Amino acid sequence: MRTTIMKTTATTRRLLLALAAGFGLLAATETAQAQEILLTGPLAGAPAVRKLRLYRQGRLTIMPSATFTLLDHYQRTIIPGIQLDYNFTDWLSLGVWGGFAPDPLHLTAGLTEKIQQVNADRDCRNSAGDAEGPSATETDCRLTAVNMGSEFEEQLGEISWVAAPQITGVPFRGKVSLFKKIFIDTEMFFFLGAAFVGLKERVDCGPNSDSDLDACSGHEAFERKSRMTVGPTVGFGLTFWATQWLGIVPQYRLLPFAWNDGGFDTAGGDPDGDFPDSSITKEDRMYRFNQFFTIGFSIFLPTRYRISD
Amino acid sequence: MKKIRIGLLAAVMCAIPALASAQDEGEEGATPAAGGGEEETAAGTEEGAADGAAGGEEVPGEGAEIPGMGAEPAGDGLAAICQIDPDACPKLDMEKEAKKDLNEKIYAVQQIYAKRKMRFELNPYMGIGMNDQYVQHPGPGVAGNFYLLEVLAIGVNFNYYRPFKSESDFNADVRRAARVGVPLTQYDWNANFNITYVPSYGKFAGFSDFIFHWDLYVVAGGGAISTKPIAVIDPDNRKFGYEIKPTGNVGVGARVFFNRWFAAILEFRDYIFAEDLESLEVSEDPDIASDPDTWYDEDPEITNNVQLQFGVSIFLPFSFEYRLPK
Repeated sequence: MRTTIMKTTATTRRLLLALAAGFGLLAATETAQAQEILLTGPLAGAPAVRKLRLYRQGRLTIMPSATFTLLDHYQRTIIPGIQLDYNFTDWLSLGVWGGFAPDPLHLTAGLTEKIQQVNADRDCRNSAGDAEGPSATETDCRLTAVNMGSEFEEQLGEISWVAAPQITGVPFRGKVSLFKKIFIDTEMFFFLGAAFVGLKERVDCGPNSDSDLDACSGHEAFERKSRMTVGPTVGFGLTFWATQWLGIVPQYRLLPFAWNDGGFDTAGGDPDGDFPDSSITKEDRMYRFNQFFTIGFSIFLPTRYRISD
Repeated sequence: MKKIRIGLLAAVMCAIPALASAQDEGEEGATPAAGGGEEETAAGTEEGAADGAAGGEEVPGEGAEIPGMGAEPAGDGLAAICQIDPDACPKLDMEKEAKKDLNEKIYAVQQIYAKRKMRFELNPYMGIGMNDQYVQHPGPGVAGNFYLLEVLAIGVNFNYYRPFKSESDFNADVRRAARVGVPLTQYDWNANFNITYVPSYGKFAGFSDFIFHWDLYVVAGGGAISTKPIAVIDPDNRKFGYEIKPTGNVGVGARVFFNRWFAAILEFRDYIFAEDLESLEVSEDPDIASDPDTWYDEDPEITNNVQLQFGVSIFLPFSFEYRLPK
């Protein structure tokens, strides 16, 4: 009998424990239901932001710009250009950037002037530009006959024009406070595309080239010809919205391709192709991660943005 | 059985506060009837208690009072106040009041996400030289800033270059192709006192999914740099040692916060100093050529060592309190 009573008491305790646990669970569930009411209530399915300014969606962007080359070896280039984009959504657009750099916008770097000063002092070439100057037989003149024309500046590789179809994504959007007084709607965008680049480079010459110019020391061998190359382009930038239809856009661009920006014979020779071969060929083109900084003014059409629901 | 009843009552009492806690705001507006509903639940059986706990999901019928939501419309409430205490009855012309201009202060950025004032910022970073085509000067660095104000800090930074320098192929190509020697320099270390000002901060939404905060700062300072020329023109005779020169610096950077004490930084800093370059002239007299006074160019050249610095910022203490809750 005593055993039965003890069993009953133990069972009762277990029952009480189970009930208490059950009520505890119900209580906990009730707390969660308050959250569920929120999710299934009037805000359910509502957008994170209402009345959002749709700066881009369905608008055309025209951006006149000036692009500056960065970290150049011999000369800096300013490329006036224009970019056209159609913005399919607020975060995706497709467009093309193009620019053209006329001769006055190629500015020599300090190294170019230093090299030319040394070159002029050597007096290796005559007035026609051939290697028959007063000091043509000096060691320095003979060793640089393939690489140095009369005017170093005129043998440098140049970027003449660029056309780059590209896709732009705008993943980040927000606002920036300046001195706690001015608040500017701002976007950060990234772009990716292919760039067609028009170059002016020294003509091929020498025994290892397909050119008719067998020697690279004559003045004809320091002329330049145009060619086009293709490279990937990638970059990022910011849009600072000044008005409903105008944005100020600084952007950084990487456009790698191989070119001979100094007009030098630096490669192609034995034993492993890294030694000069007295020829100017594509072997002398160095693959460079060319960098650009652009400042532009984006004009958006139509001039009024739409506002989301 | 008595114990069982007590136990059940205790369990139900535990359940009731949980129900109320989910509906704090509505309690004040609850009518006695609504409260009665709760009492009814509390006084019910086990089954009834369970139904009461889940009652939040039930859709009340038309005209039913919703517990916690206030059963009377606002107008009736005012009428009741006026009836009980005419002096306390509001005498405002609500239409007239509604036409008044709002003078509400709405802050575009309501609170600075990560406060800086009276916090110390530890900033280890890696620096990469951006404008020297001939010798790369990468190296680690560390900065420490103490923010006196929300937007103003004083601090120090240190760069270490010596083991990391490397000469570029471009240097050899130019020397070989044009036979032009360009004086080269290598760096040892650089230390500065700095003042940092944060004029701009903001926040971005990423992919309409998450928000990150960032700020933009400008920095300026002065200190010392230890450098020496690399003997290029006459390496047989010239053995240069490191010398310390005064330097100034200016920079601009951005900080992206991952949380309130940890951020990533990206900074451009220009360290400006007067460099003693190797002389391009070499005397044919061996005695003169070995005289250190003839090794340097006469005029020091102003050198800009532009660095890209990227790293992290750790703000100490990790936590802080806002003066105002909002």
